[in-house]
Amino acid sequence: MIMTPPIIELKQVSFSYPSSGESVLHDVSLSVERGDFLAVIGGNGSGKTTLCKTFNGLIPHYYNGELAGVIRINGEAAQDTNTALLSKTVGYVYQDFESQLVRPRVLDEVRFAPLNYGWQDYKERGDEALDMLGLNDIKDEFIWQLSGGQKHLTALASVLSLQPDVIIVDEPVAQLDPVHAREIYYTLQYLNREHGITIIVIEHHTEFIAEFAQSVLLMDAGTVKWKKPTSEAMRCTTELQDHNILPPPVTRLAEAVDAEASRAPITLEEGTDWFRPWVPATSPRHIRPVPPAASKRAEIASFDGVTQGYKTVEKSFKWIFEDLSLSFYEGERIALVGGNGAGKSSLLKMLTGILRPRKGHITAAGQALHGTSPEKIAELVTYIYQNPEEMFIEDNIRADIEYFLKARKSPETSTYADELCRLFSLEDLQHKDGRLLSGGQQRRASLAIGLGTQPSLLLLDEPTSSLDINSREEVARLLHELKEHVKTVVTATHDMDLVAEWASRVIVLNEGTVEYDGGPRGLFSSHELMRRCSLYPPQIVRLSEKLGIQPSALDIHEFLPFVKGGGPCYESYPSVAFENQR
Amino acid sequence: MNRIRQWLSKINVETIKIELMNTAYGERTTLMAKLDPRVAIIWYLLFAILPWLFWNNTILIGMLVYMVILTALSRISPLILFLLCFGLVTEAGYVIFTALFFGGDLTAAAALLTFTMKLTIISLASIVIFTNMDPERFSDALLRFKVPETFCFGISYGYRMLPILIDEYQNIFNSFRLRGRFPEKKGVLAWRYVYHFCVTAVKAFYPMILNTAKRTRTTVEALEVKGFTYGMHNPEAKELKLSYLKTTKKDVLFLGITGVVLIAIIYTGTLYPIERTIHQL
Repeated sequence: MIMTPPIIELKQVSFSYPSSGESVLHDVSLSVERGDFLAVIGGNGSGKTTLCKTFNGLIPHYYNGELAGVIRINGEAAQDTNTALLSKTVGYVYQDFESQLVRPRVLDEVRFAPLNYGWQDYKERGDEALDMLGLNDIKDEFIWQLSGGQKHLTALASVLSLQPDVIIVDEPVAQLDPVHAREIYYTLQYLNREHGITIIVIEHHTEFIAEFAQSVLLMDAGTVKWKKPTSEAMRCTTELQDHNILPPPVTRLAEAVDAEASRAPITLEEGTDWFRPWVPATSPRHIRPVPPAASKRAEIASFDGVTQGYKTVEKSFKWIFEDLSLSFYEGERIALVGGNGAGKSSLLKMLTGILRPRKGHITAAGQALHGTSPEKIAELVTYIYQNPEEMFIEDNIRADIEYFLKARKSPETSTYADELCRLFSLEDLQHKDGRLLSGGQQRRASLAIGLGTQPSLLLLDEPTSSLDINSREEVARLLHELKEHVKTVVTATHDMDLVAEWASRVIVLNEGTVEYDGGPRGLFSSHELMRRCSLYPPQIVRLSEKLGIQPSALDIHEFLPFVKGGGPCYESYPSVAFENQR
Repeated sequence: MNRIRQWLSKINVETIKIELMNTAYGERTTLMAKLDPRVAIIWYLLFAILPWLFWNNTILIGMLVYMVILTALSRISPLILFLLCFGLVTEAGYVIFTALFFGGDLTAAAALLTFTMKLTIISLASIVIFTNMDPERFSDALLRFKVPETFCFGISYGYRMLPILIDEYQNIFNSFRLRGRFPEKKGVLAWRYVYHFCVTAVKAFYPMILNTAKRTRTTVEALEVKGFTYGMHNPEAKELKLSYLKTTKKDVLFLGITGVVLIAIIYTGTLYPIERTIHQL
């Protein structure tokens, strides 16, 4: 057999940025075979992104620094060529992919790169890229009108237009909701299988890695720990966890069941087969009725006959809500879920007074919001933006936290800010500008800023989006701790794991109507409903479905009793949602 | 009063954004939109410079009428027309008020009317060109005129970013509101409210600028990866990009007719001048 040379080959590569002097990559040697689907994993700051930037020549041609060793891309030494030439071989889709799109329309965007290279057939190349990704329907759309998933696909198409041999995608799942993330991965898989393009993803989510990648590269402190086939890599559970990477849920579950298991499953399909002998053929059980609440709790906010909509660019009017009625109660942890454009953010913004309903009434803490200024409402209700950067209005975190209380000349400003800094572990960061923090730190800061207004009702917009696993876990933990500080929390989210582990009540919005209102278990057991509202359940829930366990187990701990032959041991959780609304 | 309030409530950030983007990129079927953008720029320069060379009111009125007709044909967004009219009316109003207040008479206002007319002609020309030419074509035309590539790209990129910046600005502005404090007393003519709004509106720019600066790093890197710098030094790429710019019969005809109209206006103006006597100081 003739061995084709690897598409990417690094030999003893070290690199340091001139400003720091510390080496970010240290003695890295690796090779990537043509046609591979490689996942690069590692903790924050392990050098994953820096490594990938050596593949397309941004290092050393764009970022000057100390570079040692040999980098060969497609057989050519990277040091002797330049970024523009290397980019034809290696395409890069950024984590912040929106900033990568520079043209007004989709069609312009995909033709931009081939045009820059002066290729006569730039139009055909652009069209071909659109065809490959099935984007023909949106080719005349303006970039700023696209959804997040469409933007990501457009960024991918613009990279494809150069017909590269390798495509690098930086953290696709972090920025997208699960349904779109999956779509991107299917696309990458298709490009890999049908067009032989080598795919490299920087990824934290092992569920996706296990399902799509062929091999895994683990980075640690600027060095390559190992490169292994995916099935082998995913089973190194202890080592993965040492590097802050959470193995796939089915793998962890299998380990919990049988620590000695030699071939633990890594994907849902494998898991279904693996667990089938362990789980007795239970006859499907029906969802237990929600236990009646002991007493009716106080209402904290309500919508009564609310109608809301917006004008589109085509000057037609689109309704988001028509005659919506809903109540939130004290002590609830509410998750607001639904596909893009279902009206989650609009609903939250209406509670803050920055968006006024066209018809209907909204109250918060017994007070009608009509005619009350957002500044006044803010004393009861806090809204935390999806993008924390839009909350940094001062030049350091502490000033941001104190802003509200200072404006009201509160004597406890300083002590309260101290307390918040402690709660969110911001003591060392409090004098920094929020923009300079990492994603997880920014999110913690935004929570602290929100609590700085001492609200009764806290509204969060996608608090776990674009976070790596650790920061995500941390935010989830903090959300549990919030109950000491606020009466009710409402979270708009795509993150079904968060819904499963945190929410006491889930409201599913679909095209402006409430499709479901009740406990998370009820939702996760209604598979048809979830599909209709384009929600993607957590892996353990899907495993329960496949094995006929109903109601579904929500996490590993709930699943275990099934395996050991015992019955389900769900805690009963009170939800007043149905009770009060009948 | 209620109707005015209802009408004013329609003017919000969202509407302005949509109107602006429609004006810039909207599908255009008018004659002007189909012109070679270079011809359109030449036409615009003509009407941006010529009004300054004449003090003859007949000529200015002629140009104004011509421009009003073109504006009417261009189906310009009502919001933008409203803004223009608002500007003109307040300007004229303030001039007349000042003249009368300081003991002058309407001749001062009449003198300034000539100036206002010139400004109106130029403003209308700008609106017509802004409505009829999307930023892409404008930037390409400038490129053809040998304006530096980075500048031309800046124009089209700036436009693309506009809606995103407006959204971000709105969010930051709301951030200030959600944590700020509204003045308790209105003050005379609600001046405290107005002052509070103005201060917030200015302050909200700073975070937006910082956020944008941060994002730009990725953009510049992405441009590098997409071969933008490479294309800049590649005459072939530039040729290919601009190959769609072609002057057709239509363009020649348009320039010709404009020339004839202009000559007719100037000729009529010299025959029947309406000129104010200029007072010697």
